[in-house]
Amino acid sequence: MSVVTKMVKEIEKRKALTAILLMLFMMLFFDTRFYTAYNLLDMLNSAAILAMLAFGVTIVIICGGCDFSIGSMMSLAGIITIKLMDHMPLGIAIAAAVACGALVGFINGFLVVKQKTEPFIITLGMGMLLKGIAQQITDAHPVPAKNLSYMKIANGKLLFGIPNLIIIMVVMLLLFYYILRYTSFGRNCYAVGGDYNVASQSGIRAEKIKWSAFVICGAMAAFCGVLLSSKLNTGSSIYGDSTALSVNCGCVVGGTSFAGGVGGIPQSFIGLLAIQVLENCMNMLGINAYVQQVCEGVIILLILWFDNYTQKRKEEAV
Amino acid sequence: MDAKTHIGYFVKNNLVLVTIMILTTATALIEPKFLTVANLGNLMNQFGPLSFVALGMTLAIIGGFIDLSVAGIVSLCAVFTISMIDVLGQGGALIAGLMAGAAMGLLNAFIVVSCGALTQAKALFITYGLSAVYSAAALLYTDGATQHMSHLTSRTDLFRAVGSGRAGFIPASFLLFIVIMALLHIFLVRTQTGREICLTGANITAADLSGIPVKRRITLVFVLSGMLSAFGAIVLFSRITTASPLLGANYETNAILAVVVGGTSLAGGRGSVVRTMLGVMLVILLSNCLNLLGVSTYLQSVCKGAVLIIAIWLDRRRAK
Repeated sequence: MSVVTKMVKEIEKRKALTAILLMLFMMLFFDTRFYTAYNLLDMLNSAAILAMLAFGVTIVIICGGCDFSIGSMMSLAGIITIKLMDHMPLGIAIAAAVACGALVGFINGFLVVKQKTEPFIITLGMGMLLKGIAQQITDAHPVPAKNLSYMKIANGKLLFGIPNLIIIMVVMLLLFYYILRYTSFGRNCYAVGGDYNVASQSGIRAEKIKWSAFVICGAMAAFCGVLLSSKLNTGSSIYGDSTALSVNCGCVVGGTSFAGGVGGIPQSFIGLLAIQVLENCMNMLGINAYVQQVCEGVIILLILWFDNYTQKRKEEAV
Repeated sequence: MDAKTHIGYFVKNNLVLVTIMILTTATALIEPKFLTVANLGNLMNQFGPLSFVALGMTLAIIGGFIDLSVAGIVSLCAVFTISMIDVLGQGGALIAGLMAGAAMGLLNAFIVVSCGALTQAKALFITYGLSAVYSAAALLYTDGATQHMSHLTSRTDLFRAVGSGRAGFIPASFLLFIVIMALLHIFLVRTQTGREICLTGANITAADLSGIPVKRRITLVFVLSGMLSAFGAIVLFSRITTASPLLGANYETNAILAVVVGGTSLAGGRGSVVRTMLGVMLVILLSNCLNLLGVSTYLQSVCKGAVLIIAIWLDRRRAK
């Protein structure tokens, strides 16, 4: 194999990383404030919450599902925490919100795994339902948090001036990486997503594995919602309207396929980062917000197209 | 078989009809004005835009797909058509709008077919992504502004007639709906192409092996769905005389709700447009009931989400 074909193969495998490097290189030629420590850190900071959402979603996608209720779950969890904070200690309020997320994940899992419904449409309906609840609780107004220490969770800098959010994200990254890579639960996730029937025939409790994946994803979405409302010091029902699509597709950008059974946490992180870098570049270049939306949509579409196309090619080769 | 099992059998098979009857009776008892001719006309009027989008969705679901791009198509078609009235005149704008819907349907089909996303699950993502693109394009096209029919210089009486005209107490949009529904019903049940669409939805491999041009049938389904969504968009903006680029939001979930509640199976191949009419009726009666009970819009969307999930769940259980 010549060097060129080797390189092409490598680039094909690491599309997202190549895209990031290309964008970083391109930005060298524009006179913007892209290459300032402030902007780079800010970019990572705003990618942190999306990336953590993606960790939960990645497990579900690897198991062969998807979760489109995360956006509404996120906004609802923030609202729940802020509403409960006045009546009980902060820690319990956060725990309650995360428990709500786990419960929603449990219901999603029940419908998808036990009842064998289409995960996409069920979680979309669940998102609609949760958004309605969030609007009902807040009357569609943003609710500010009164507790100053709450705001410090996401905005503080505990270690060497690195924002807390980035530290939390790195911890979560390592934790989820470890779970997927080195525990039997994680390995079973890949087996279940690769071929559900084969996995359950070979003694893996496929139902339980996939169901737990949904619970983990729901709890993670709620946790991210807590962090987001802490970062903005408000809970609002309008957060997260477009989050579900960009996070689910961000995972696919990184190389986790909707077919299930392939991908991983680092890939999803890179994928999400790629979307974030793209957004930041477009902002820095002063591109019209609506043009940005169209661009993002088209790129997501292209990625989905390629994801399906490579799968089709693989099936034809067999 | 005694009478009791007969009734049980009837209820099981016509759950929608029974629910509609219960809801009608309940509403009539709470609000005696419900059963007047004027209110009947109002109920028919509410069929409006959603019913057309739901017809398109029924075709897509019978053909084995769920077309989530309808929300984007409704938004983009509405702002496009209204901006074309001054350029092409009202007749031209109407045709241009429908053509735009068909073109978007064609694009959907092209993307779905070209990457081989021929299962329902795969096509869902693609049509959802397309919806995001169309919605963003609608925002870009109008720069986010709402367009008003009253600001136009040309005549708009055709659109006004489509949106809010009435023949006696029956709204024009309802008559159009009945005509289109009848045509689609005949198309699906009586023509070869229609039967082929049903078979494609039920089992795409079998359809392909028996010589049906599967890809062409799928394309037809998406084009018709896009065109009907465009028609829904035209009825919608004609009625409210404004077109905002966010007009179509949530139309996809409401349309799926109407179709599934009506009893068309998400598994594909089984169902009918007549059932969808009952489904739309049920959704309208439901929101009418909730309004009468004074339930807030937010809680209504919770109810709709719950009904959607439960309907899909029941559909799945029936399929098993």
